[in-house]
Amino acid sequence: MNTNSNVYTVVYTTVIVVIVAAVLAFVAGKLGPAQNANAKAETLRQMMSAAGIKPTEELYSTKNAGILQLYADNIEEAYTIGLDGQKNGELTTDKDNIQLVDKLKPQNKAIKAGGDATLPVYIFKSGVIVIPVYGAGLWGPIWGYIAFEPDCRTIAGAYFDHESETPGLGAKIKDEAWFREKFAGKVVEWGATPAFRLEKNAEATGAANAVDAITGATMTSKGLNDAMNVWFKAYEDHLGLASAMHAIAEPETNKAEEE
Amino acid sequence: MDKKLKETILNPILKGNPITVLVLGICSSLAVTVQLKGALVMAISVTLVTGLSSLVCSLLRNTIPMRVRIIVQLVVVALMVILVDQILKAGEGTYAIDKQLSVYIGLIITNCIVMGRIEAFALGNKPLPSLLDGLANGVGYGLILVIVAFFRELFGSGTLFGLQVLPAGYIPNNLVILPPFALILLGCIIWVQRAFDKDLQEK
Repeated sequence: MNTNSNVYTVVYTTVIVVIVAAVLAFVAGKLGPAQNANAKAETLRQMMSAAGIKPTEELYSTKNAGILQLYADNIEEAYTIGLDGQKNGELTTDKDNIQLVDKLKPQNKAIKAGGDATLPVYIFKSGVIVIPVYGAGLWGPIWGYIAFEPDCRTIAGAYFDHESETPGLGAKIKDEAWFREKFAGKVVEWGATPAFRLEKNAEATGAANAVDAITGATMTSKGLNDAMNVWFKAYEDHLGLASAMHAIAEPETNKAEEE
Repeated sequence: MDKKLKETILNPILKGNPITVLVLGICSSLAVTVQLKGALVMAISVTLVTGLSSLVCSLLRNTIPMRVRIIVQLVVVALMVILVDQILKAGEGTYAIDKQLSVYIGLIITNCIVMGRIEAFALGNKPLPSLLDGLANGVGYGLILVIVAFFRELFGSGTLFGLQVLPAGYIPNNLVILPPFALILLGCIIWVQRAFDKDLQEK
């Protein structure tokens, strides 16, 4: 048989491609649920690390099933809000059917375009409120989870992750515990622009809403700063309002802060 | 085992090592050698991909139209790479490593060793030697990867497989973490290998 004829070449390549496509479709279908379960557990680990449910290392040594259980045991309520700050959906928290908004890229687009967004708000039984942030680092997307104290203003903890930042430099936002620990106790100044500052020498100013950028990772720091401020702006009508209400309801804590 | 088969297996690991002698697959050996764990998973992934791609291409070798053979090989390699990536993503224990290696698993497809071995060996040899040749080249590649990663993780982070090895007071060397240092290390490995193997020295 002439393997160099045009007909043979066309038929051969077509058959090969169809076979390969069939194999890939089959495998993707078989492995899809396991991959989604891994991705969901990963998101839950990051959220619970930020919320301080358990130490980060312990969360990462816990199996997926244990993570789902831990979340179901600790979550109080989860819902989504629109850009107007109004609730526009509920997220179930049942162990076997945990709903998350873990695809943050389309939400980021919706925020920037001013379109229909479903931004998640996760409230844990400890009173801690967790929201995501998402933006562009130097090489790829970066994202994180910020946990607020019940006053909706003080940061209780944070966890950051990235797809492909430089190891040893930008990757420090994930790898170095001291970086995320610096956020605890800082506040977000709702209504101010910027609401939070991750900048060079920011801590030296003594501002409560400032954290120093990472030396040698200027672009990653800048990206994270932008990501936080864009998302905080989107949550301002919801959390900023809640923070103001909290201050009215409990003026004594507010007073103590002023002194 | 007959002599030729033995040669097929040993040659890519020592005298014909894809990285230090053929200087193929340099890019990924700079990128994924910051930590031993990642380097090891990468080594295993590349070994599987080269082995299986060579096997399949060898089985198809008499049917592939010569004019489109590169494209057909590419499709086979792409299939193997995607399979490895999907399996790593699905495993509960390997998910974190896959995340850490990120794009580099997908980029195995551009690793010159894979296509190089198919073109140079699998298209002209029977399936069994082709499989062994592919696997052996993967091992030869992986060996260098692990050696480089050992030094980079030890001096760049003070750890091995994530466990603290050097005393806590050790200040990690940032140069070691950056890709250029991997190139310096590779140069040293090639130097050492050539110093011992007279056959590799130019007259």
